[in-house]
Amino acid sequence: MAGAVLENLSTRKLIALCVVLLLFQAAFFMLGGIIAPSPTTAYPHLTNKCVDTGKHRHKQQWFIPWGEFACEKIVDLEDAIEQEIVANQIVFSIEIPNRPNKMSRWFQYILTVMDITIAYHNENPLGPDPVITMEISLGYRNEGDAPGDWKELIKTTEERKLECTFDRPLIPESNDYTYHCDPMPFMELGSCHHDYYLINIRVPVHEHKDINLDLGKLQDIHIIEIHQNGGFTKVWFALKTFVTPLIIMMTIWFWRRVCALNRQSVLMERTILALGISLIILDLPIEWLTLSVDIPFMLLISDIRQGIFYSMLLSFWIIFAGEHLMDQTERNRLSVYWTQVTAIVFGCTCLFVFDMCERGVQLSNPFYSIWITDTGKNLAMAFIIVAGICASLYFMFLCYMVYRVFRNISVKKTALPAMAKARQLHYQGLIYRFKFFMFFTLLCAAMTVIFFIITQVNEGRWKWGEEHTVEVNSAFFTGVYGMWNIYVFAVLSLYAPSHKDPRKYESTVQNGDVSGSSNEEYELRRTLTDSAATEEPSELYRMTGKTAQD
Amino acid sequence: MYSIVLSCILGFLILESQHGVQSWSLNNFLMTGPKAYLTFSQSVAAGAMHGMEECRHQFLWDRWNCPESSLPMFTQNALERANRETSFVHAISSAGVMYTLTRNCSLGDFDKCGCDDTKKGDQGGEGWKWGGCSDNVNFGERVSKMFVDALVTGKDAWAVMNLHNNEAGRKAVRQTLKRTCKCHGVSGSCTTQTCWKQLSEFRVIGDFLKRKYGNGLLVDYVRGGLEKANSASEQALSPLSKKDLVYLEASPDYCRVNVSAGSMGTVGRECVRGTKKSKDEQGKWEKQSCKRLCSTCGLKVKKTKVIEKSSCNCKFHWCCSVKCDECQQEVTKLTCQT
Repeated sequence: MAGAVLENLSTRKLIALCVVLLLFQAAFFMLGGIIAPSPTTAYPHLTNKCVDTGKHRHKQQWFIPWGEFACEKIVDLEDAIEQEIVANQIVFSIEIPNRPNKMSRWFQYILTVMDITIAYHNENPLGPDPVITMEISLGYRNEGDAPGDWKELIKTTEERKLECTFDRPLIPESNDYTYHCDPMPFMELGSCHHDYYLINIRVPVHEHKDINLDLGKLQDIHIIEIHQNGGFTKVWFALKTFVTPLIIMMTIWFWRRVCALNRQSVLMERTILALGISLIILDLPIEWLTLSVDIPFMLLISDIRQGIFYSMLLSFWIIFAGEHLMDQTERNRLSVYWTQVTAIVFGCTCLFVFDMCERGVQLSNPFYSIWITDTGKNLAMAFIIVAGICASLYFMFLCYMVYRVFRNISVKKTALPAMAKARQLHYQGLIYRFKFFMFFTLLCAAMTVIFFIITQVNEGRWKWGEEHTVEVNSAFFTGVYGMWNIYVFAVLSLYAPSHKDPRKYESTVQNGDVSGSSNEEYELRRTLTDSAATEEPSELYRMTGKTAQD
Repeated sequence: MYSIVLSCILGFLILESQHGVQSWSLNNFLMTGPKAYLTFSQSVAAGAMHGMEECRHQFLWDRWNCPESSLPMFTQNALERANRETSFVHAISSAGVMYTLTRNCSLGDFDKCGCDDTKKGDQGGEGWKWGGCSDNVNFGERVSKMFVDALVTGKDAWAVMNLHNNEAGRKAVRQTLKRTCKCHGVSGSCTTQTCWKQLSEFRVIGDFLKRKYGNGLLVDYVRGGLEKANSASEQALSPLSKKDLVYLEASPDYCRVNVSAGSMGTVGRECVRGTKKSKDEQGKWEKQSCKRLCSTCGLKVKKTKVIEKSSCNCKFHWCCSVKCDECQQEVTKLTCQT
């Protein structure tokens, strides 16, 4: 890829471009930090304890916590003994959301976490490796439906392993203190299409089947519901809708530049094109559809789109470093990078399979989670570990390659004054291009990591004076998302072939040189046999052109 | 408007306490009140009761055992006391009210709660859609403050102290909140993480306040504010923390009956004597109760043998025990006698 825009751009223009991109970057951060609310909110719900009096045996009965058709409730399970209510009659019920709100399609997804409160009782302690078996029904209703008209979304029986600890001595004095139980994944809905959701949970006891026998003294079931805030979704959609046409335009512009070259495109150019296309795939705001159509698999699609983009980005880095290696090897073929690309593809496939096992299965049963069974947990961990190994292998490859590039750069630099003018210029161009790229990439990667750490450490909101708060998490999402868009945008624009000097391309094509490395090879052959006097005029033009610009 | 409701609660509580009834259904009394306050005041009353129950549990083996008459709402017009015990009662009842309101809010008992005060979330309309609502704990704290602090009238030392202790009770609920997070980014990674806060069980709050009671601070009322007494010591120079319990006067001798000072004496109190060594702090406290309640008060310990009927060999389910045998057991009871 000889003669990129970057090399032929005057310093003033380059600075202007950088300033514009920086301004955009700042705008992206502010969009999330100031305009958007926090990305998600959690709402802890305490389940109501409804009593099934057995009046409506013949039909599907919903137990609704409040309103016209509210169920019979007991406040405390202790009261159940007096009223001769048994465990199998109790239905834990919540309606999402709490009064007077209703859900919105802007919420995109609903996920819930279950937190069980179990009290210690010396005569009735929690058994070893307790498993809770629940009969769950999930219903929905929309505004305009009759108040008691709940429709079933799914009915299922689920098991969850309880992981509880008790940090007091097991003596009667510790009665009524509660176990510390880890919250469990409960339900994950990939779309939030309806206005109201109703969850009924039964914890039936079957002595002969040994179900739910050693659960201790269950007191409460908390369900924590989490969804994406509508405001964040709106900002997010707006951001995506804004950047998509820009990236599409830039990619088309880039490819037309390449096509205008009168030669075959090189690997580097094809990679950049692929990077642009993968970003377009990621950017395309198809999420708008969720506002009118129920698309529960949208989360899965988003994950896949992200996977495609990141694997493309990683491949791009490897190929870019490889094409600037400046040793005497002919590359320009994807097969040269098979080890690295295999690592990327393999790692991504692992994550994809894992994602399909989790979110894919959730499409048919939202109460499923790969983490709840031991085999599932091990399998999930195996996938993640393999993906982790692939990632570390990849970064080792990448670091080694970058190290080699820099070593070659220093070797070339010492040799530079002794070289012919053309070669000097060629190498200077390569070095400049590579260093700029390295700096830019490292900046973006460092920013991503730094902001990620900030969001993990912080409470999520920064006070700015008296009134203003900055949503750090939202700023992270919009900022980092915007940053990679800017990154690709800059790569597309700066590494596109320059048409400042068309004669140069003609000459390189005539010589059969298309890529930087093969060009270099050619030059090497030439400089071995030839002197500076026979240098091609194009190189001279290029030199004079560049010095004039600087 | 609140004052009507409050005086109703107050009148009701006094009425009920005289009859010694423990059911706290306010329905008959408050049907005339505005509906929103009706539901809140039920929770407020239940919360205050919850606090007092916990108080009795915490002080079961102390000389002062949190008698019914120490509920702050009763003493509105009676002789005011401002000792360490009153400070605890105020704190635990205000904590109980906040706790119950928060809990009932997350049960969905109220028409609106949690979602009605922040600028982001107004009444489940666009605000809720845009950025969600504030959490239930904020709601509990705010309504508890509104109801419980309204019972404190005047601007004297007593009022300032009680407001401080009410606040300390609410701070205790906040300080014992459990924070949990869930990671739900791509492939379950922590790029997206959502956290929430949940109430601890009320026993934990009781334990927390009991410790605060032990470290309670004697204060002086100076120029409309409270300052630590004994300001000669260095410690007193540090400002008063909102989390500490404060009191203005020393506690009376709880061994002897002194109704005006709020002491019922320890005659007739049951106690426990230690037979085996107990490892934890609470057990130790309990096992020394005969010494504390009887011996050091100059009373004798009287042993009586009682035959108690109780259910035993129960087979439990997670809820509601089933199939119990009835057992008769001879129990030795220890009481303090003159």
